[in-house]
Amino acid sequence: MKIGLKKTIFIVFLCLFLLIQSIEAEVFPVNAYFFYGDGCPHCAVEKDFLYDVLEDEYPSLTVYEYEIYNNRENALLLQNLAEQLKLKVEGVPFLIIGDESFVGWSNTITPGLLREKVYECSVIKCPDVVAQFTGNTPEIESEPEIVEPESEIDPESKKETDSESEQNKNMITLPFLGTVDALSFSLPILTMIIGALDGFNPCAMWVLLFLISLLLGMKDRKRMWILGSAFIIASAFVYFLFMVAWLNLIIFLGFVSWIRIVVGLVALGGGIYSIKEFLFNKMNGCKVAGASGKKKMFERMKSIVKENSLWLALGGIITLAFAVNLVELVCSAGLPAIYTQVLALNALPAWKYYLYILLYILFFMLDDLFVFFVTMKTLQMTGITTKYTKVARLVGGTIMIAIGLMLIFRPEWLMFG
Amino acid sequence: MKVLKFGAAWCPGCIIMGPRWKEIEAEHSWLQTEYYDFDKDKEAVEKYNINDTLPTFVFLDKESNEFLRLNGEVEKEKLVEIIIQNKDK
Repeated sequence: MKIGLKKTIFIVFLCLFLLIQSIEAEVFPVNAYFFYGDGCPHCAVEKDFLYDVLEDEYPSLTVYEYEIYNNRENALLLQNLAEQLKLKVEGVPFLIIGDESFVGWSNTITPGLLREKVYECSVIKCPDVVAQFTGNTPEIESEPEIVEPESEIDPESKKETDSESEQNKNMITLPFLGTVDALSFSLPILTMIIGALDGFNPCAMWVLLFLISLLLGMKDRKRMWILGSAFIIASAFVYFLFMVAWLNLIIFLGFVSWIRIVVGLVALGGGIYSIKEFLFNKMNGCKVAGASGKKKMFERMKSIVKENSLWLALGGIITLAFAVNLVELVCSAGLPAIYTQVLALNALPAWKYYLYILLYILFFMLDDLFVFFVTMKTLQMTGITTKYTKVARLVGGTIMIAIGLMLIFRPEWLMFG
Repeated sequence: MKVLKFGAAWCPGCIIMGPRWKEIEAEHSWLQTEYYDFDKDKEAVEKYNINDTLPTFVFLDKESNEFLRLNGEVEKEKLVEIIIQNKDK
């Protein structure tokens, strides 16, 4: 009986030992091939995540990095991979783990996807499709290591906990609005502020003032509303087209660091100029010299408004709005160009880009709409005085300098959400 | 006292000053003002040597001597203060 008990104890210990052994998992080495560009802010974020977070969580992970902006060999390797493996390479960061590729970076989506893939490849042997092209010894072929089950935490629950704590960190409580996510809230706020400041640009306002002063001389209220509204809508449309074109140009050129730095320098220069104007330019009238352009514009506008046929007048006003706004873009291109660069940094879906541009234009047109509606209601000429324009210059200049510095030195700070 | 106002249809500052003067003139009915268009009233423009900035406001005393000249957009309060101070000139 005593022997039987000893045997039983031995069998129990043996079973426990085997059970512990079976809990220890087989973990396969995982190779990640990371293609990035110097100066690309999303690449920098992904790189930090790969080395500082993912490698710590999964010691079986090895990251191979390839810079493609300055290294032709690496760029050709990516091109070759794209052709051979039928990959759709739309830009960097571009990461390949196992037989799956990941383009771009999103703070909320990418970390979870990468964790999931690395976890999957460390427990199920993934084919390393890149190794044959890079000449790396495919570590995946080596004997699987046996490691303590430290990474046996369910990646799903870990992902959720991490993203929850990340999200909580960014939550702020605002009066009237309650608790909001600071990151997802920052871009709309920035859009509204820059749009409104751009609207105070005198270049954008003077043509509308001319038009309103001419409309006030009319007796037909309906015609006044139609022509004024047509001018405002056409102006907004031209601005929208310009901003979309500029945004697409920046996206087309990619996140080439020197373009971001040039836009940053333009922002710095524009900001310094605006503050200098606020501090030293006390002149708030119209210079008589060199006013011939304005005179011609006024005369043309006068003849259009006086046109008997409403349709001809309407066509003339829309054409004029296009022409004037295109010319005046030179004067007010600074803020939209800087804003679209910030927008491009945030790597949003196309529809979101257009929505943000529409929001910008709505706030850009706010002062024009205010002047137009107040004048039409009261039939008294209203204008935004230079006092407000000057304050807008100070605020706008400060924001431009801040954005300029961030574009040059800390572009990742402008990537919201 | 008389105020000569020089402006132009193509000058936004002049457009903004229009209603401001209208209010002042309504509140101070004794005040004499005259408006001159920079492009049309060449004689007055040359006489008062308006060749730099618009709008320009020339303040004349009873003897038609200029005692003050203001350029650009001017706050209504400032204009009213000047007008009241120089009412008897």
